[in-house]
Amino acid sequence: MPLSIPTTSALPPSQFLSATHPTVHKTLSRLSRPSLLSLALDWLDEKNEDTGLTTPYLLPSSSPSSALPSPDPDDAYPPCTSLSELREIYTDLQARKGSKRDVLDRILEGDWRAGISLYQLAMADMQYLYDHPSSQKWSALKIVPLAASDGAEPGTTSKSKVKEKDDASSTKIPRFHPATFLRNLQRESLPDVKAHYNLDRHADLPLWILRVWIIDSPYDTNLALTSSKSNPNSLSFDASKTFYIAFPDAAPPRERYSLERTALSAKNLGALCERRGGGRENAAGGGWGVYCADGEGAGGGKTRDNPLNSMVDAREEKEKGEKEGRLDGEAIDRGMKRRREEDPRMMKRRKVLAQGRFGNSAMRDDGLGIERLDVRLEDKFPDVNLFAEINVDNSRDNQSDKKKRRGRRSAVDMELEKAREDEGEDTEGWRPDVRITFQGTHVFAGVRELVEAGVVDGERMPGWMTGEEGVSIGVVKEGRIVGWKGSGVS
Amino acid sequence: MESPSDLAPKDPVGALLDADISSLQAQISSLKSLRSIQASTILTSQTSQTILARLRASQRAPLPSTPLDASPFLQTASKHLTQSKENLYRICASITTFRLQDPDPNAVDGGRVLGIRFDVSSAGRFARPYYVMLNKPFADKELLRVHRHTVPPCIPLAALAARYLPVTKCDSGDHGKDKVTQDLGRFVRALRRQIVGYQNRTSVIKSLRREFKLDEGRQSGKKGKEREKVIVDISAADAEAKQVRIEWVDGRVGRCVVGDTGNVEKCVVIGEQGRDWEVERRIIGVEKGEPSMSGIGERLKEGIY
Repeated sequence: MPLSIPTTSALPPSQFLSATHPTVHKTLSRLSRPSLLSLALDWLDEKNEDTGLTTPYLLPSSSPSSALPSPDPDDAYPPCTSLSELREIYTDLQARKGSKRDVLDRILEGDWRAGISLYQLAMADMQYLYDHPSSQKWSALKIVPLAASDGAEPGTTSKSKVKEKDDASSTKIPRFHPATFLRNLQRESLPDVKAHYNLDRHADLPLWILRVWIIDSPYDTNLALTSSKSNPNSLSFDASKTFYIAFPDAAPPRERYSLERTALSAKNLGALCERRGGGRENAAGGGWGVYCADGEGAGGGKTRDNPLNSMVDAREEKEKGEKEGRLDGEAIDRGMKRRREEDPRMMKRRKVLAQGRFGNSAMRDDGLGIERLDVRLEDKFPDVNLFAEINVDNSRDNQSDKKKRRGRRSAVDMELEKAREDEGEDTEGWRPDVRITFQGTHVFAGVRELVEAGVVDGERMPGWMTGEEGVSIGVVKEGRIVGWKGSGVS
Repeated sequence: MESPSDLAPKDPVGALLDADISSLQAQISSLKSLRSIQASTILTSQTSQTILARLRASQRAPLPSTPLDASPFLQTASKHLTQSKENLYRICASITTFRLQDPDPNAVDGGRVLGIRFDVSSAGRFARPYYVMLNKPFADKELLRVHRHTVPPCIPLAALAARYLPVTKCDSGDHGKDKVTQDLGRFVRALRRQIVGYQNRTSVIKSLRREFKLDEGRQSGKKGKEREKVIVDISAADAEAKQVRIEWVDGRVGRCVVGDTGNVEKCVVIGEQGRDWEVERRIIGVEKGEPSMSGIGERLKEGIY
């Protein structure tokens, strides 16, 4: 047994967990049968053969078979002699029908009975993430350069410093180097916890995903992962935590950088990629997206918006936003209680209007939906002298406001506080506390459909309802999201 | 039992028809676009413009109350002329401006927005234009602010805007006067320089890949016999495409840093036997004195063949 001393190093990926470990069982049993099989084939892949991190339990092939002890007749899964044989078995299983249980048992009691490495565990976890893309909630963070002046006091809050980045050196675009990032992250972690890091390439999105798995132990050897003598079966890493960090390609570190919230979080990683990725769409959401849209091939030319393109019709179509939405009338009627008798011209008009406001964004099937939008309206109550009791309401509102302060502060409140610090609060006029939460599978596509159906007035609808601000939480003042969070230059 | 055998003979016919239909449709759309190109060429030509001018003059005489260009034909003609003028400006000036209306009813300054369009060409074709939209968010001031833009994050737009279009309020200013001077001209020029540099670097990397036949795939495997593949990969190593990664067949890996002007500034090539000074010198181009990025391919080839 190796000597276990507390260290600050990371857990090695080759560290094995016993196959009967509850965490192993829990992680693997979350996967579906096809995912389990593809995972097992990944482990058996030639690429992983050299690393030795995913080696299955095999009969030693070098020694003559006669010298081997005869296989245990009670063994339900007799060990194979080679990787290719195993690959065949798992490929066969893919073609056949069967239960997930069989595959899981084969993996844990048969081919990987010797144990599962942390690397394999990470692979299984990432597989789950890819199978269930919305199982995690992601928050977008901005990498901002730390001003040179703050080197003296690294402990203070960086809010004000981050804002001032208009010195000449900041034209440098930060570059991300995974190895450096990991080394620095490891240096920051405390010696009484151990982490295992695994960097993986996302299958479809231009992303690198870092999985960090932390357990409460000062050791980086087996001791961290085996149960204590007194209670051998209780250890299930209750104190373990997993979190993920995703880096988009072309993400904007060599100097010192800090991370800043950008008021966008969603379960849909694709949506985050679109709004905070390396592309052109970051500050041109909603209807502004037509300016970064790729020209469709229908016009014959590769790009329509091109000074060498002399076709008038194509450009006009773009500018007026008159392209017909892909949604047909049928889709709009879905979910509405009664069919309205519609003037087809009105419907057409509303569609054109929606196209003008939303552009090509917020389509039901674009897969870029966010599931929640929180907005707090901070606008002054319109000056209408219709109700005499407004003054009474005013005092009541103040009371309720105080009452709320005492409770748990919501994320909207925190955002509001931040906005207040930024802008300075003006107190004149009555500003009722109005919060709106939109929830659904694709919030902005829903709003778009409401516009197309005539429920929401497409002309008078405020801009933040189109998603063009690129935030999932915000405070609205004067009809606009405070602070230009997602738009333009923040 | 019979259903698969029934379907089997139908399938090829159906597929054939589908292919026919799609090829006809492609033909239609290409003819349509050809027609519209021809129409606009004819309408905007010098001769047709003189004819049109005469036509316009003759039409205006009888009824002064009718608006200019009453007939749809004349309307179309003037539309084409405007567009061809706009195209000309875009090609020659490469930075053009236009006005647009913010659809948000709560937009600042009545929704008036100034659009700036950057048309950047490289390798004989125009890239998708980059747009920067500016508005005036401060009521009684003439200060501009970037409202929306389509510039990718690898171009330091925010830093340029902070330098040339400052909007800092007087309270935070270290100097007492509340006058903030903005220079839109310098902002636009600096931004265009960054965009062009980025576009050029990416297109050089693309052409290097073509030079070493890295994107041809397997289908032309038999043709590329004459020269053995020496370089496995050339790619940008960072978002700005200022670092180029080169990988050789024998496992050597190189990285060179390109400056703002497109010149190779630094280069490191490491193999199993340590640094490869010979190739490094070749890439930096010590002998030639002009270490442009686009010449990397040429200089490398000299060494190889």
